[in-house]
Amino acid sequence: MSTPVVEQPKNRFIDPKVLMKIQNLELVARSVVEGFVQGLHRSPYLGFSVDFAAYRQYMPGDEIRRIDWNVFSRSDKLYVKLYEGETNTRVLILLDISGSMNYGSGEIKKIDYARILAACLSYFAYHQRDGVGLLTFDTQIRSHVPASRRRGQLLTILSEIDRIQPSELTEFRKPLRFLAEYLTRRGVIVLISDLYDEPDNILAGLKVLKSKGNDIIVFHIMDNFELTFPFEEMAQFEDMETKRKLHVIPEYLRTQYLVIIKEHMERLRKELSGSRIDYCLMDTSKPLDVGLFSYLAARSKSI
Amino acid sequence: MSFLNPFLLFGSLALAIPILIHLVRREKSEIIPFSSLMFLLKVPKRSIRQQKIKNLLLMALRLLILALLVGAFARPYLTQPAKPSPNGTANRAIVMMLDNSYSMRYGNNFERLKAEAQRRIDSMRASDRMSIIAFNENATLLSRPTSDKNALKAVVDTLEPSFFGTRYYEAFTLADRAFGEFGGDQKQLVVISDFQRNGWNRSSRESIIGTDVKTETVNLAVQSPNNVGIDSVSVDQTSFTRTYTGRVIARIHNYRNDIPVDVPVTVSLNDKEMGRKTLTVSTKNSALAEFTGFDLQLGFSKGRVHIDSKDPLKVDDDFLFSLERREKLRVLIVDAGKAKQSLYLRQAFTSSPDLPFEVAVVPVSSLTPEEVAKHEVVVINDVPRLPDKVRDRLDELRKTGQGQLIILGENADAGWWNSYAKFPAKAGQRIFVAKDRGKPSVALTTYDRNHSIFKPFEKSTRVVLNSAQFFAYMNVEAKPGAVVLAKYEDGSPVIVESSKEDHGMLVFNSTIDSKWNDLPLKPSFLPLFHEMVRYLSRYNENRSWYNLGEAIPVTAGLESVAGAVIDPKGGRQALGQLTTGQVKYFTPTLPGFHEFRVGPDTRLVAVNPPSSEGNLDAMPPEDLLASVQRTQGESQQTGFFGSEEKAEYARRQMIWWYLLFIALLAGIAEIYIANQSYKAS
Repeated sequence: MSTPVVEQPKNRFIDPKVLMKIQNLELVARSVVEGFVQGLHRSPYLGFSVDFAAYRQYMPGDEIRRIDWNVFSRSDKLYVKLYEGETNTRVLILLDISGSMNYGSGEIKKIDYARILAACLSYFAYHQRDGVGLLTFDTQIRSHVPASRRRGQLLTILSEIDRIQPSELTEFRKPLRFLAEYLTRRGVIVLISDLYDEPDNILAGLKVLKSKGNDIIVFHIMDNFELTFPFEEMAQFEDMETKRKLHVIPEYLRTQYLVIIKEHMERLRKELSGSRIDYCLMDTSKPLDVGLFSYLAARSKSI
Repeated sequence: MSFLNPFLLFGSLALAIPILIHLVRREKSEIIPFSSLMFLLKVPKRSIRQQKIKNLLLMALRLLILALLVGAFARPYLTQPAKPSPNGTANRAIVMMLDNSYSMRYGNNFERLKAEAQRRIDSMRASDRMSIIAFNENATLLSRPTSDKNALKAVVDTLEPSFFGTRYYEAFTLADRAFGEFGGDQKQLVVISDFQRNGWNRSSRESIIGTDVKTETVNLAVQSPNNVGIDSVSVDQTSFTRTYTGRVIARIHNYRNDIPVDVPVTVSLNDKEMGRKTLTVSTKNSALAEFTGFDLQLGFSKGRVHIDSKDPLKVDDDFLFSLERREKLRVLIVDAGKAKQSLYLRQAFTSSPDLPFEVAVVPVSSLTPEEVAKHEVVVINDVPRLPDKVRDRLDELRKTGQGQLIILGENADAGWWNSYAKFPAKAGQRIFVAKDRGKPSVALTTYDRNHSIFKPFEKSTRVVLNSAQFFAYMNVEAKPGAVVLAKYEDGSPVIVESSKEDHGMLVFNSTIDSKWNDLPLKPSFLPLFHEMVRYLSRYNENRSWYNLGEAIPVTAGLESVAGAVIDPKGGRQALGQLTTGQVKYFTPTLPGFHEFRVGPDTRLVAVNPPSSEGNLDAMPPEDLLASVQRTQGESQQTGFFGSEEKAEYARRQMIWWYLLFIALLAGIAEIYIANQSYKAS
């Protein structure tokens, strides 16, 4: 495997509603992943592997066995062979399980969508022979499966994803601070959340992680109703996190609400892009693989 | 403030409907779980509050409009605030109703009334105010609310009994309006009257006086009236002979319920006694005294029936009437000179010496214009044609009031008559019914029932026009402007009248000799021709007398003339210019002989007080008050006497206009705000 190839998925646009009917999360992940992604990433390091990359003059300290004696015999100079390394990375999936993730205007809740997304990413990261880990959080860290490539890691992660129950508020600052302290090795961090927190809180934590050399991908999971606010009748809206109620006449609030949420997303997009953090908005009414594909296509180009 | 339609205030319950809807909808509003209110809470409160304020403003405006409409339809009005009494007790607002109908002339009743009124004035407190109303058939406010006792007494002193009858309704209505002027004072109504029963229609239930009015009655009714009076006099007003052949019949009524009375009755003309009789009239009954056969002078005579009743009410002991002796109507019959051609016509006008006609018959061959001018009515009885001079003279005479009846029959020359420009009909061929219509005869079946020449047939069911059979007639057609007054059953005209511009000619299109019809042999013949001639002579029989207060018609003749009335006291009241045929009405206010002068004509009309006042039967005052006392909630009548007061009353009721105007403004504001709100959403 030398060049990551992103192919057009065979089973594009698998409806999330259909996926929801599949109980086995692994099967779900496989059905989504298979066929359209050959590799998630390339190793950021050159190493000694199978595929030749280049020659380099021998430097003291290089292993003697890396010297290409054929070249020495022809040129009387010591060169070592460099190969494209298939070095493995660690992918840590941060999954927001706050109460707001339990919202769903249709059959699909945001948390279900996030589950499938997390399962898919875990699946192909694992099959990519990367170390895969999972961390679920709300106001604090609820569960943590450290990244590993050991056998059975995928099942552990999938069963953990299957178990999660959203309930609490969202608080990014604390879990991200913990991660910054905890992660010692660089890798890929995938944040799956509806990002219901102040942008400053979200960005502060992510920027710290980025500064430590991590690649960060943010999947912003939003329900279609949150994006369009199509309510008509006057009603009491109940906050799923705080349980606070508010009398709302949608026709009076819609315009202002849409402006505010658009500003929120726009600010996140800009700030994250500025920090070279990938941002991908996922509408739960749209098929999962559409988001994945468009994201990976963009990512493959950037590598 | 009070309301004219207080029940409509229940409509204000409708205000609760939008509020209830608001509350119910608020209670039942659905709870929608939403991911986070983070962004909803970030929506500026100001705009939500603004919207809420707009909504509240809209609701308030709509409620206001509803309330204003309810208020406007309930018709609010302002009552005058009560003037505080200086001594702390409530002011009394007193309205005193004094009966000055002619029944109060009975004995010393009117003096008693004045004494009672003076006593009521004396008993007034300094803070009390009083209005005085005098009433008979009409009600008059004699004094505006005042505390000045001397002024009130002066009003009572100058009050005189009238010759009018009694009507309580107008008086109570006026009293109610007078109370409106007092405003919030404690109201008291004093009625001093003989409470004659015939002054109130007992079947009616009138609500006039408010429930807050304290009433006091002073009953001056005569317990056992010993009144005898003249109820009415029936008179044949016009006589054409020196000796009066008509009848003057006086109806004398004894109102006593104890004994029959012997009443001497005399009739006099121009203050000269013409007859005397003594009648015995039983209790509560009437008797008739009939007079006739006395001599009459030419023109009008003042007649009077008098009874010597020796009762305390003198007014009904005299009854006035007028009689007129006229010269007979001069009627000229012009015929073709054939034997017995005008036999029936002559007989129709001369069969009785009482008939008001003086008839001359002249053949057309010896007719001169001078002869024609001597008569008031000319009957041209089926002549072939007229000499041109006579025809022209007839045209002139019509303008001065002469009437002309043209009969077209077997002798008439249709061609000549058609050449007569002012002839109102176009003559055609002669119709012989058996031959031309295929049946033995036709009848006169259709006529203008409102026309005065057919008056006898409207009054009587025995005398009918359609009993006469017509075997032949000359077909005529009315010219433009002329009017067909009667038709045969086949639709052909029988009688045609000339146009209004050339008034005074009638055309009859069948002969009066029993050859072409059997009309002269029928009972309808005499009345029809008498009425036609009377109509053509403009002769109207007038009524011999009128009741006081009754409108008397005054009719102008052929020319436009000035009219005037000389009342019994010699006062002259101008009626203005009367154009041709115009009718004006004069309402007398005094009993006695009135002289109506219309141009050169003078007519004498007698006016008598209403005889019903002679009936002094009284009703219990409580019954009367129960009939006029308003129940709670009945709306108050409004209005006032002078134009200033009327304007004031109208102003007090103007509130509903303001309410409607404010509702209109609120409606405009509501539309504007709702539009703005809709655009914003």
